[in-house]
Amino acid sequence: MKWYEAISRIDRRIIYFLLTVFVILPFFVPFKIRQNIMPQTQRLFDFVESIPPDDKVVMISFDYTPQTMPECHPMAIALLKHCFARNIPVLGLSFDPQAPGLAVEAFETVVNELNRKASNYDDSLFYGKDYVYLGWKSGFTAAVLDMGESIAGVFPRDYFGHPVDSLPLMQKTKNYKDVAIAIVLSASAYPEYWVLYPQSRYGVKIGAGLTAVMAPKYYPFLQTGQFSGMMSGMKGAAEYEHLIVEKGYTKKLGRAETGMNSQSIVHLLIITIIILGNIGFFFSRRDRKQS
Amino acid sequence: MKRRIPLIICFSIGILMIIQFMIPHPISSEFGSTVNKWYIVLAAFALVLAIGNLIRHHSTKIRRKNTNWPYSIVTLASMVAMSIIGFAGGVDPKSLYQTIYLNVLAPLGSTMFALLAYYMASAAYRSFRARSLEATLLLAAAFIVMIGFMPFGQYISPRLPAFAEWIMKVPNMASQRGIMFGVAFGSIATALKIILGIERSWLGGKK
Repeated sequence: MKWYEAISRIDRRIIYFLLTVFVILPFFVPFKIRQNIMPQTQRLFDFVESIPPDDKVVMISFDYTPQTMPECHPMAIALLKHCFARNIPVLGLSFDPQAPGLAVEAFETVVNELNRKASNYDDSLFYGKDYVYLGWKSGFTAAVLDMGESIAGVFPRDYFGHPVDSLPLMQKTKNYKDVAIAIVLSASAYPEYWVLYPQSRYGVKIGAGLTAVMAPKYYPFLQTGQFSGMMSGMKGAAEYEHLIVEKGYTKKLGRAETGMNSQSIVHLLIITIIILGNIGFFFSRRDRKQS
Repeated sequence: MKRRIPLIICFSIGILMIIQFMIPHPISSEFGSTVNKWYIVLAAFALVLAIGNLIRHHSTKIRRKNTNWPYSIVTLASMVAMSIIGFAGGVDPKSLYQTIYLNVLAPLGSTMFALLAYYMASAAYRSFRARSLEATLLLAAAFIVMIGFMPFGQYISPRLPAFAEWIMKVPNMASQRGIMFGVAFGSIATALKIILGIERSWLGGKK
């Protein structure tokens, strides 16, 4: 077999092995690369920065599933850290039935971490006062529209069964007028419908955290200003982590940073094998033409 | 009559909902809110229907001993077990339900999705060839975006991330917007056909 035939017929098991090694490597050999912050991530960060503390809530719609958890979950963690560091109350909810478990985990992780560091009672975070998780609701379009009239009307009880009206945060959060921005973390078309229905009807500001494969679809919403910012894929999450570290809200980078290192190396591997495949293809074609 | 009444309901509610969406008046908001609440309840029934369908489908599979029928037992047993655990023990962060969700379902879901990376890498290596001008352009754009969006990209050339961003903001956005317009016009046409009773397939049955 000629050399160019060999490089265009690499056994798939070798590719799988290299991929596995390159994904795992950054977890054992950590390294840091400066993130080039994309404008849409910066816009979302700046928007959250501009929200006055202890005023309106940031609504986070957790609409991702375990399949897309590696990309979207670090976004949720970084966003929660940012909001809580600035004393911005957070209202969580979900329209994907697989999402509540992940939302609860995100709140639990961030709240436990911050409460461990809290020096006094005032620094601690409390359920019902600083954050609320409403849970899952069916009938997405009707639910997001009806929250413009009354959030408690759509979610009479939160995820844990407490009457929503009994929670202090919900007594001052009646509808979208009390929401600074709704940030939709999703791997599907949910953010588009947030723009179509509640934004066009009630003017609520929308931000998004999307998987990298979904992000290109949403660039028109950024350009028109319908999105107040967007995190795209693991890169977006890693950038947001960098921004909150740079601003001093937290000291450690999160999981997206390590994930991004793995992803970068794997991308390099894929580019390399595609180039090798194409070199093999050109030489083989030239051979065929000559013969 | 069996067909006329649903068509009248569809027409009147369709028109009323369009009007109420455009008029932000308390009466129209109240009406919209009431209809939305009905919709949420009706959508919840779809879940009941889905559970019934799932049970029927897998029970039939088990009874007839179709291919891979033991997996149907796992599906039904998991559904029943998780429902009992959730109803009995609650869904708090420390509950058994949450523990199983995070330690069984979440890793299984992530693993299934992660397998895609292997197939994609292998498929990209085998089929991503610069056979024509279009394929070469696609290949070049893919390389620029991949490298430009990687943190390494800025070290290869400081202009690369900006160029990758330009590809996303100009050619990508133009095509996405074109697709969106197409989908939007199609949706409007379909919605109007349903509201006006031209499209009646949703009624089911024969003509």
